[in-house]
Amino acid sequence: MTTFDWIKHAFDYVGGAQDEPPPGFPIQLGHWWFWAVWWGAMALAIYVFSGQSSKFIYIDF
Amino acid sequence: MHPPKRIFILALAGILLLLIALDRAVARSAQNTVSRALMARTRVSTDAKAVALGNSVIGVGFNESSFDAAMGLGKQDGAINLGMGGSSAVEQLLMLRYALQQRARPRPSLVVFGFFDFQLTHPLEYATRDLIGNRAMLYYLEPEYARAFYHLSLHDRAEFEIMRHFEMFVDRGTVWERVELFRRALAQQGMPPEKANSMGRAVDFAMLEYPSAPEFIAECGRASRNPLIPSVREIALQAEAAGAKVYFVEMPMPPDHVRMFYDQPEWAAGYRAHLQQMLGDLGAKYIDASHWMPDQGAFADPLHLTYEGAQEFSRRLGEYLRNIAPPQ
Repeated sequence: MTTFDWIKHAFDYVGGAQDEPPPGFPIQLGHWWFWAVWWGAMALAIYVFSGQSSKFIYIDF
Repeated sequence: MHPPKRIFILALAGILLLLIALDRAVARSAQNTVSRALMARTRVSTDAKAVALGNSVIGVGFNESSFDAAMGLGKQDGAINLGMGGSSAVEQLLMLRYALQQRARPRPSLVVFGFFDFQLTHPLEYATRDLIGNRAMLYYLEPEYARAFYHLSLHDRAEFEIMRHFEMFVDRGTVWERVELFRRALAQQGMPPEKANSMGRAVDFAMLEYPSAPEFIAECGRASRNPLIPSVREIALQAEAAGAKVYFVEMPMPPDHVRMFYDQPEWAAGYRAHLQQMLGDLGAKYIDASHWMPDQGAFADPLHLTYEGAQEFSRRLGEYLRNIAPPQ
């Protein structure tokens, strides 16, 4: 399996398109902390980028 | 407990911990925002005899050392510039109250409030999405008191009440500003450099001007029937109650702005006279400095003075005030 295939497989697994992880994949989806980190990262991404509709005129640090 | 249910509850607890960590990180990164830095300066500048208030036209247009030299004030009792970019009279009122609370006696003997266009009479209607940047202080500096001076819808009032208890919402602008700067830096790749100054992109400030003289004249007619907004009235009244003389300064504007807007009779004889009347009734003085800087080179963008322009304007303002109101 090439690195690219492995990454694709890993994303498929995380996204639910495959039931089995690629060989050597370190995360078990049954672990609660994976889902905490996953949704925490999603919340962080939403938080960080949700200001893009704001009309920034002044940026005076 | 059923395993999926256990995983769900533990994951929820983990997300909560991450959000708490994020909240603390935002609070830490927002310790030196412009408004907090000004509040910190206010706490140590307790002998300042003059206070300058306003938005960015004062923030970058008022040079403390030039003003002090012309007024004959020393370093210890010199002026303090509390102007904040993108702020309204409500935040400026809060900043004045904060400055007054930091000292018993002596209190500042002079308050200078710089403005342009219709700031003094334009009613303030906000949504929570507007409360970012320097307006974020509405969440944490006397929030209940300040709420009386601007309008929020029922939905936004509820949102405001929830948001003001969490730093990640209160100071979300500090994170968003960094993302915005990153986006601008990316957008600049391979492009000719944009003109920018300490406040932001020069071209953006043209959006704050009226698009045409007829629209400005029409607004003069409407605004000439409006009273001063309550926060402006309070600035005048509370500064005077503290023993300060209050001067509202129509700030210098670039020659194009003056010619297109301020030389119109509807402004000069209409709206300006209306302002002078209302401010005079409160005991405040009006200084028309709009024509003081006739050189376009003194301006960094369609609204703001350059550093050198600010020095020149502040020196002239200091000399003017020294003649009519010598420091006590």
